[in-house]
Amino acid sequence: MSDSTPAVTREAAETAAADGGAPPREASSIRLEGLHKRFGRDTVALDGVDLTIEAGEFFTLLGPSGCGKTTLLRILAGLEEPNDGRLLIGGRDVTDTPPHRRSVNTVFQSYALFPHLSVRDNLAFGLRMRGESAAERERKVAEVAEFIQLGSLVERRVDQLSGGQKQRIALARALVCEPDVLLLDEPLSALDAGLRSQLQVELQRLQKRLGMTFVFVTHDQDEAMVMSDRIAVLDGGVIQQVGTPSEVYEHPANAFVARFMGHDNLFAITAVDGDRVETRLGRLRLDPAEQRAESDGWLLIRPETLVLGDTLPAGYNRLEGTVEERLYRGSRIEYRLAVNGQPLMVVASNLGQRMHAVGDRVVIGVCPEDLVRVAA
Amino acid sequence: MRKRTLNRGLAGFWWLTLAFLYLPLAVVVLFSFNSVNSAAHFADVSLRWYHQLLGNEQILSAFRNSLILAIVSSVIALVIGCLIGYGMYRHRHRKLGWLIVLIYLPIVLPDIVFGISEMAFFVQINRATGLLEPGLGTMIIAHVTFQIPFVALIVYSRFVGLDPTLFEAAKDLYASPFKRALHFLIPTLKPALISAFFLSFTLSIDDFVISFFTAGPESATLPIYIWGAIKKGVTPEINAIASLMIGAVLLAALVSLLFNRPRRR
Repeated sequence: MSDSTPAVTREAAETAAADGGAPPREASSIRLEGLHKRFGRDTVALDGVDLTIEAGEFFTLLGPSGCGKTTLLRILAGLEEPNDGRLLIGGRDVTDTPPHRRSVNTVFQSYALFPHLSVRDNLAFGLRMRGESAAERERKVAEVAEFIQLGSLVERRVDQLSGGQKQRIALARALVCEPDVLLLDEPLSALDAGLRSQLQVELQRLQKRLGMTFVFVTHDQDEAMVMSDRIAVLDGGVIQQVGTPSEVYEHPANAFVARFMGHDNLFAITAVDGDRVETRLGRLRLDPAEQRAESDGWLLIRPETLVLGDTLPAGYNRLEGTVEERLYRGSRIEYRLAVNGQPLMVVASNLGQRMHAVGDRVVIGVCPEDLVRVAA
Repeated sequence: MRKRTLNRGLAGFWWLTLAFLYLPLAVVVLFSFNSVNSAAHFADVSLRWYHQLLGNEQILSAFRNSLILAIVSSVIALVIGCLIGYGMYRHRHRKLGWLIVLIYLPIVLPDIVFGISEMAFFVQINRATGLLEPGLGTMIIAHVTFQIPFVALIVYSRFVGLDPTLFEAAKDLYASPFKRALHFLIPTLKPALISAFFLSFTLSIDDFVISFFTAGPESATLPIYIWGAIKKGVTPEINAIASLMIGAVLLAALVSLLFNRPRRR
């Protein structure tokens, strides 16, 4: 899985060819080397970031607010200068290049559409500043308006647009410049849930079709997993993990990443004995691949891997607990159990079996292959 | 019952206030159309005094001076005030305490103090260097100084109302600093600039005290002319000038208001 990135680019090219869409454009890779950024004397926003983003990748910077993801994006755009380190786009050092000379465009969180201009003039702004001819501008704006299906809006004023329309115009205004890299700063955070998930899919398709390098910033791990080829999880100005969505979700590099990806079932490992680990849940057998001699760190049990029932498949770990809480979610049922006094979350698909009631005594099966050791 | 009486009382008070504000103006305008030379008796409607105005070389010259002074000083104040307003916006996160006070001070300083100090200052410079002979030049400098704070504040407040990421979007979309000014800052500020210009214009046309202290023998403005003429008694000619000035100032104030209205969402 770790060498999946070049394949992604190939895939993008193939998809583009198969769609009969635009041929993949000259996408650019990004290299960050030892980036440091401080604000004032003692606020450290980035504390030594090394990262390579492949050409044509949909790459997401994920983390809580204040983790440095937006600062990193602003350094890529040229809106912020690093105190230390280098930034290369397409192999060229652009650390000291001002934003208006970088082939990078940004979709801002607030959209930042110019209120004094019509939608058409907003779309043409970048082309105009780059000195492209009126005819060329006209053609490209018409093309991009068609592309995002907002051709009917070009004469409107910006304050006559809905949130979703503004979002698309902001995207189109950046895309029409055909940059090497497109930066997206939480562009969906202001939209309601329905529109948001629709645009997540659209954005991802669009990126595959254009083959452009996208760098996407979000604090929403679901959004990051749905859209990205790879994710970098940041905290405290440091990259905690870089990997594909499944790598980051299933094999978080440390407890922070695990918690941030939404995992509740983390249990401190107190002792190790061969292929068994001791936790406050009890002794559990691990897959040999997860065996390590150190008796530290955490054991991650994903709630969707747990099985409730009296008869367990061979080789499963067996735990017993009591149902403390039950949340009915339609497609699935979430149970909060107490196992040896420890809370344990279980997510069961709603397959029409008997539901367990609060207070029921249940047997829990834990497959050794689904247990993951997580560093502290 | 008591509430209705109170409301009626308040309404009456409102109309009384309006009357004290605008009836004197109405009287001046009315008597400027009087056919006879009387401030007490209105005979007939006539444009006699307006005709007489046009024949009065002193009045025409004062009118010309007022106009030149207002336009030139407003243009200069607009440029300088804009730069100050932009500077205040750019550095708004810093502590600007005393600097802001320096910019605001001319607004609250009594005109008479301001006028006397300007005069004393110009006289000193004139004596030392021979420059700044009292006249339109000194008046323009004086007017610019009291117009600047108004322009700076209007421009500053317009900037503060903007989404700060717009500046970044302009950079991100390949606009060099010069193109940012030309294609983003100036168009975005246009309403505020027009508004600030007309406000400066109004303040200048309106000003008597500061003009009086900084004027030279040849540079009497309309207010200064009126002040001089009134010593010989109020003539209907003065009423006519006053009426024209009321009209001009109302127009300028209206334009200023129209362009500084918040944009509808």
